[in-house]
Amino acid sequence: MTTEHHAEAAASGGSRRAEPNGYDELMSLFEEFAGLDENDTRRAVLRQRLVEGYLPVAQHIARRFAQRGEPLDDLEQVATLGLIGAIDRFEPTRGVDFLSYAVPTITGEVRRHFRDHGWGVRVPRRLKDLHLRLRTAMSQLSQQLGRAPTATELAGHLQLPREEIVEGLEVANAYRGTSLERLTDEESSGGFADVVGEADTELDRVEYREALQPLLSRLPERERTIIKLRFFGNMTQTQIADRVGISQMHVSRLLSQTLATLRDGLSRE
Amino acid sequence: MTVFNFDRQPATPTMPAPPRADQIEIRVNADAAWLPSLRVVAADLATRADFDLDEVADLRMAVDQACAELVSAADSGAVLVCRFAMDRDRITVTATVPVSGPTAIPRDTFGWRVLTTLVDEVEVLDGADPSQGAGCMLCLRLGMLRQAAPR
Repeated sequence: MTTEHHAEAAASGGSRRAEPNGYDELMSLFEEFAGLDENDTRRAVLRQRLVEGYLPVAQHIARRFAQRGEPLDDLEQVATLGLIGAIDRFEPTRGVDFLSYAVPTITGEVRRHFRDHGWGVRVPRRLKDLHLRLRTAMSQLSQQLGRAPTATELAGHLQLPREEIVEGLEVANAYRGTSLERLTDEESSGGFADVVGEADTELDRVEYREALQPLLSRLPERERTIIKLRFFGNMTQTQIADRVGISQMHVSRLLSQTLATLRDGLSRE
Repeated sequence: MTVFNFDRQPATPTMPAPPRADQIEIRVNADAAWLPSLRVVAADLATRADFDLDEVADLRMAVDQACAELVSAADSGAVLVCRFAMDRDRITVTATVPVSGPTAIPRDTFGWRVLTTLVDEVEVLDGADPSQGAGCMLCLRLGMLRQAAPR
């Protein structure tokens, strides 16, 4: 059986029976690795051997995500980092074999990479270009109109059929990554302390502040600012986009994600 | 998921009688897994009705928030009915789930703040629904008014 086949078996389920002898040997390394003291110099040696031993698994998972517009090198690197994380966190005493733990962990890491850095779904080049044109047009029209444009206004501005605009806007929602934002958005530094201050005053008045405040404080600063400006500072998404220096679409996405996070957090209280 | 598009399909005997044209009704299991589908429909309808894109994004989040609250209050195995009605200057979303007893939606929560910030009108309707026999229904009605001039 080749290494490729080992990885195949691992990636498709990773049950103990399907594990070839090579991985059994690695399992015994694991028991030694997990038993060592944090500062034992032998840990680094064993860790290296474990990473090398399981590397085909990470590479196999990375290849499954190739052809989706991200370079294979990057995917392999992300998968390898996922593998290292899995090795460090794995507890052999729990009675679960390593691959059953590592395969979903590594796969999750690669998926997260797509969510954060790439297009969540494979989007034709034409729609990516349209997405960029839409965002530029939205910014220009917002300046002119003093509010966000409608689909018809965008169609008129870009001289495109309205249906194409609607399609392009749907793509914007399907696209969960941020690499385009990083290309075109430049965050402004500060300059909105005054409005945040007003939003804070408003936040202090609400009854559920005690439940919300610790959750807000755990958010990244930009997300926290956007939430405050929208829900306690009475600003529209377009106004926030202008203030924070990112696109309205980006504000919209950050707001939705952050609301979901807060909702989860509040329901656990 | 069943989608009843009253505008385009003739009513069959099994369908409830449509009160009006320009309404879409979606029935899903009251499960958070369906929230993405509901908010996509909300955003698509508002985009096509030419609401401005801030309003589209706000309605999308409001539907998500309202349906999430209803799902968490619903009986297990319940069906969430979400009806979208398009008028010239407004979209009204009426989301309903059966609940085991009279259920209040508290107004002093962040969730309520979110809803009332995102849409122009929020209404809680609860109580027995005669058409459903015994049992209570919990219903949230959201109204989004158009700011931009209609096309």
